[in-house]
Amino acid sequence: MFNGFKGVLYRELSVYRKRARKQILASSLSPLLYLIAFGWSLGRGVSVDGLPYISFLIPGLITMSSLNQSYGIAQELNITRFYFHVFDEYLIAPISHAEIVLGEAAYGMFKGLLSTVLIFVYAVLFGVKLILTPVFFVAILLHTFLFAALGITVAMLVRDHGTQATVNTFVITPMIFLSGTFFPVDKLPYIFKVLVYALPLTYSTKVIRASLTGGAVNLFFVLLLVIFAVLFFTSALWAVRRVEA
Amino acid sequence: MKASMSEGAAALSVEGLVKRFGKRKALRGISFRVEGGDFIGLLGPNGAGKTTTIKILTGLIKPTEGGVRYYGRDFAAHPREAKRFIGMVPQQSNLDRDLTAYENLYLHTILHGIPKPARKERIEEALEFAGLTEYRDRQVKTFSGGMRRRLVIVRALLHEPRILFLDEPTVGLDPQIRRTLWDLILKVNQVKGTAILLTTHYIEEAEKLCGRVLIINKGRIIAEGPPDDLKREIGRYVLEIFLEDRIEEEFFPSRDEALERLKECDHSCKVREVTLEDVFLRLTGRRINV
Repeated sequence: MFNGFKGVLYRELSVYRKRARKQILASSLSPLLYLIAFGWSLGRGVSVDGLPYISFLIPGLITMSSLNQSYGIAQELNITRFYFHVFDEYLIAPISHAEIVLGEAAYGMFKGLLSTVLIFVYAVLFGVKLILTPVFFVAILLHTFLFAALGITVAMLVRDHGTQATVNTFVITPMIFLSGTFFPVDKLPYIFKVLVYALPLTYSTKVIRASLTGGAVNLFFVLLLVIFAVLFFTSALWAVRRVEA
Repeated sequence: MKASMSEGAAALSVEGLVKRFGKRKALRGISFRVEGGDFIGLLGPNGAGKTTTIKILTGLIKPTEGGVRYYGRDFAAHPREAKRFIGMVPQQSNLDRDLTAYENLYLHTILHGIPKPARKERIEEALEFAGLTEYRDRQVKTFSGGMRRRLVIVRALLHEPRILFLDEPTVGLDPQIRRTLWDLILKVNQVKGTAILLTTHYIEEAEKLCGRVLIINKGRIIAEGPPDDLKREIGRYVLEIFLEDRIEEEFFPSRDEALERLKECDHSCKVREVTLEDVFLRLTGRRINV
C-alpha cells in the first residue's frame, strides 16, 4: 500500500539530501534581508495593528518563505518531467495518480516547513516572541499543502520554463507582495482589496499571524484554507491525468 | 492475478489502434498479438508510429480509438493490474541523474511494490546482470550512454515483467556497445523467458534479434512475419545491376537462377543475399537509415 506515495517521496528526499546544505543556505538568505531591511531599519519604532512592526513582519515572512518553498517544487517538477523524463517512471508504475500528487505535495510541505523552522530561528535571534498554538500547526500544514498542490498543477499544465516563469511573474510574485505579508491588506485601495481577498495567501497569512501573535483567529478563514486545499488537490489530480491524454 | 486472466488469451493483443495528435494521424489502425516468450520487432522509419505504439501499450498516452488487452483483460479498464507485468525501456533514459545506480533501482522496487526483504538481493542481482556492480554508488550523471542503457534495461526487469518493451534500445550507441546490449536483451528473452517487443529503425538489429517482425509505415503495419519468411516472399537472392543513373534490382528464389541471369547482364552487376532492408524497400519504396 502507498507504494506510489512512498516512492515519490523517497525520490524527492534522496535528491534533496544531496543538495540540502546549498538549498537551506540559499533559502535562508532572502528572509534575513527582509528582516534587516524592513524589520530592523525601516520598521524600527513603527507599530502596525498594535504590534511592533518586526512582530507583524515575522509571520508574513513565514507564509512568504514557506510558500516559495512549497510552490517552488513546480520548478523542479518541470525540469524532471520535460528534461529528464523522470515523471514517466511514475506513470508506468502500478500506482495511482493521487499517490503521485500526495507524494509530491508531501515533499513540498517538507520544504515549506523547513523554511518555517528557519524563520523561527530568526525570530529567536531578533528577540521576537511567538505563541505556538494548535491552530498555527493546522494553518501551516494547510498553507504548505495547498501551495504545493498549486505548484504541481502549474508544473503539469505548462509546457516549458518560459511559461512557468510567466506564471511566477504575473501570479505568484504579486500575490506574495499584496496578500498582507508586509503590511495589513486593509490599508490597500478598494480595488486591490477585492483582488487580494480572492487569494489564499491572504487568509493563511491572517490566520497564521493571529495565531502566532495572540490575536483572534477567524475560523471561517481556516475553513476557506481547507476549501482552497481541496480545490488545488483536485486541480493537481486533474492536471496529472491530463498528461496521459 | 492469475485467476483474472483468461486461459489461452494472448499475452498482449492489440486491436485497431488509432492515435490522432490534433489533425495528424500517427496511427491508422494497428492490430497484432504477442504470445508469451515471443521476440518481436516493430520496424519502421522515423515517424512511422513506433514510439506512439509503445507509449500506448505502456499507458503513457491513451489511444484515440482501439483497445489493448493483456492476457485477455482490457488495459484501459485495469491499468494497474497490467502494469505489474509489463516493463518499459524508453528511448530516452529516464533515470534520475542525481540518484546513484542503486537508488534508481531502489526507487523502482518501491514503486512496483517489491517487498522490502527481497529488494536488496534483487537490486544486487540486477547490477550484476548489467555488469554495473562496481558503479552502484555512483550518480547516474557520471555514466556513459551504454551504462545508462544497461541500467534502464535491468531496472525495467526488477519486478520480473512478462513482457518487456524496448523503444530504440541501441540508438546512438557505438557498435561494440550495441553488441553487448543485444547479448543482454537476448539473455533476457532466452534465460528469463520474457516476451520482448522492440522498436528499431536499424534493420540488421531486427534481423539479428527478432523471431518475428512487424513492418510499420505511416501508422500502418504493412507486413509481418519471421524475417526469413518475409525475405523468401520476395526471393532469396538479388541481382543488382548498376546502371548509369540508378541501381536496378531483380529478385530470384535461388542463387543459381540469379547467376544465370548475371551471365546475360552487360552492365556491371552483383549477386547477393536478400536482406530485410530489400523487403522494406520493396514495401515502402523509400530507403531508411543507410
